[in-house]
Amino acid sequence: MKNRKRKAMSWLVLAAGLLYFLLPLLATFLFSLRGKKGVLSFVAYEHVFADPQFLKTFVFSFKMSIFTVVAGLVLIIPTTIWIHLKVPKAKPLIEVFALMPFVIPPIILAFGLIRSYSRPPLALVTTPALLVAGYVIIAFPYIYRSIDAGLRAMDLKALTEAGMSLGAGWFSLLFQVVLPNLRTSILAAIFLTFATVIGELTLAVLLAWPAFGPYMALVGRDLAYEPAALAILSFALTWGSIGIIQALSRGKIRPSAMPAPGWATMAEDTKPAEKRSSTNGLS
Amino acid sequence: MAFLELHDVVKVFGKNTVVRNLSLNVEKGEFVSFLGSSGCGKTTTLRMIAGFETLTEGSIILDGVNVERTAPNRRNLGMVFQSYALFPNMNVRHNIGFALKIAGLPREKMEKRVDEMLDLIKMGEYASRYPHQLSGGQQQRVALARALAREPAALLLDEPLSALDAKIRVRLRDDIRDIQRKLGITTVYVTHDQEEALSISDRVAVMKEGKIEQIGSPFEIYNKPATPYVAAFIGTLNRLPALVIDPSAGIVDVEGQRITTASPIQAAGGTALQLRLRPEALSLGPGDESSNRLKGNVENVKFLGSIVRLVVRVGAHRLSIDSFNEPRLVLPDLGEEIAVSFDREACVLAEPEAQPTRS
Repeated sequence: MKNRKRKAMSWLVLAAGLLYFLLPLLATFLFSLRGKKGVLSFVAYEHVFADPQFLKTFVFSFKMSIFTVVAGLVLIIPTTIWIHLKVPKAKPLIEVFALMPFVIPPIILAFGLIRSYSRPPLALVTTPALLVAGYVIIAFPYIYRSIDAGLRAMDLKALTEAGMSLGAGWFSLLFQVVLPNLRTSILAAIFLTFATVIGELTLAVLLAWPAFGPYMALVGRDLAYEPAALAILSFALTWGSIGIIQALSRGKIRPSAMPAPGWATMAEDTKPAEKRSSTNGLS
Repeated sequence: MAFLELHDVVKVFGKNTVVRNLSLNVEKGEFVSFLGSSGCGKTTTLRMIAGFETLTEGSIILDGVNVERTAPNRRNLGMVFQSYALFPNMNVRHNIGFALKIAGLPREKMEKRVDEMLDLIKMGEYASRYPHQLSGGQQQRVALARALAREPAALLLDEPLSALDAKIRVRLRDDIRDIQRKLGITTVYVTHDQEEALSISDRVAVMKEGKIEQIGSPFEIYNKPATPYVAAFIGTLNRLPALVIDPSAGIVDVEGQRITTASPIQAAGGTALQLRLRPEALSLGPGDESSNRLKGNVENVKFLGSIVRLVVRVGAHRLSIDSFNEPRLVLPDLGEEIAVSFDREACVLAEPEAQPTRS
C-alpha cells in the first residue's frame, strides 16, 4: 500500500517535471505556427529558411562549437588526469577556477579579451581563435566537472599502475585504458559544451562574429513569429547534432571495438559487449 | 648473487622515514612475504620494487641490473593489486592479453597464450565476461593471469586477498601458491595477515617501522622469533618472568615453581629472564616424567571451534593453553586447580621486554 503510494508520488513528480520543461516548448511551437492569421501554418519557418543568414550563422556557430569541443577536450582531459594522478592537492584550486566562468560575467571576459589582444604583438581580436579561446573558458567548468566525475568513478591510480606494470606507456594508457573508461563523461562534456556554445550571445556580439546567438537575438528584436520558429529549429538542430555526435562516438570508442585490429577476429567478442550495453542502460 | 636484491633501501616521505635501510635478497623462484601491521613500510617497499615509488637511498638489483632508472613499464614485473584493478572496458580475454598486445605479439601467439592463462586459472568459460560481471575472487584470478601472461621476471602481490571473504581467501591463497610453484616464478607478497604469510611463503620478512625485524622460514618465524616484536606479532605468546637458578642445568624459577629447559642458559644465576611459551605447546594434566609442570587455577574457557583455549592463572600471570577439540576432551571447571605440562624443548628464554634487545 505504502509502496504503491510512493510509486504514484514519483510518477507525479516526473509528470510535473516534464510539464515544466515541455509546456513552454509546446507553447512556443504553437505560437510559431500562427504566422498566418486564423490558420496554423509553417509560414514562419519558411521565412526563417528563406533568410540566408540563418544557415550561415548556424554553420558558423556549429564550427566554433566543434573547435571549442576539440580544443577544450585536448586541453582539459590530460590536465585533469595529470592533476588526479600527480598533484591531487591542486584540486581545490582547480575547483575555484571552475567556478570563475559562473562568477565572472561573460561581458567582463569579452572586454578583458578585447583589451588584452587588440594590440600588437597579440592582435588576435579579429581571429576566430580568440573566440574559441573565450568559449573554452566558458566551457571549462562543464568539461572539467564531467571528466573529474568520470575519473573519480574509476580507480585511476590502480588502473594506470596496473597498465604500467603490464608494459604500457603513457600513450597506450591514455588511449586504451583511461579514455575508453571516460566515454560517458566525455560525451557529457561534449553535449554541454555544444549546447552552451551554439547559442552563445555575449562573446559573439562583443567580438563581432556572425554567430547564431546574435542572429537569434536580432530576429527576436525585429519579428514576432519567426523567433519562435527559430527557437524550435535551434532546439531541434542542437539535439540533432548531439545525437549525431553520440552515434559517431559510439561507433568509435565502444568497448568491444576498442582493442585494435589484432583483436578483431577473437572469438565471441561482440556478443557479450552488446548484451552488456543493453543491460547496463548506459548507452 | 640473488635474483632480486634490495640494498640499504631508504624511503622518506616529507618528514616521515617509511623504510629504513632495508636489505633483502630473494632467490630465483622463491616466494617471500612482507608481513607487518599497517604503516610498517611493506607496501612502500613493494612499490619501490615495482617502480611506482623512487628510492630515497639504496639500490634495487633485479636479475643483475640496477633498476633505479628503469621506468615501471620496462621492469617486466607482474603486479597484482588489492583492488584487482582490471580494465573495466575490456573483457577477461582482453584483460589477460593486454600486456601481450602492448608487447606486439602476433595474434595467434597471443590467443594461444591467453588460452593457456585461462586454463591456468580455470576460467575458460568466463573469457568474454567483463570485470563487473565477475565476483571478487574471479576478478583477482583474472588479475593474476593478466600479471603472469607475458612471463614477467617476478610477481609482486600487494595484499591481493584482503578484499575477499574468508573462504575465498583461503582457496585463492592455495591457488596462488600452486600457480607460483608450477611456474617457478620469483614472488614478493605483501600482507598484514600472519596466517596468510606463514601458509604461503618460503620465507617471511616481518617488518616493523620500516625495518625487517626478522626474516626466515615460516617455521623459524613462528618457533624461533628473534625479537619480542616478532614473538608478540606472530600467534599468541605466553610470557612469564623467570629467575635463573642453575644456568648449566637450565633450571629457572617461575612463580615459585621449578622449570627445566632443554639447553644450558647463557646467563648468570639470579638473572631475571622471561619464559615464553606457545599456547599449543602446553597441555592439560601432569604429562610424563620429563615434562615441566606449572600449577594454576582455571580462569576462563574459550571455545574457538576446532580449538579450545583455556586461560589459567599462575601466580600473578595468565597462561593461555590451546587444546584440540577432541570428543574425549574433558574440560575443567572454572576456578579448579589444574596442572599444565610442557616439554623442555618448548621453553624459550629471553630478555624481559622492559629492556628490549636490539638485534
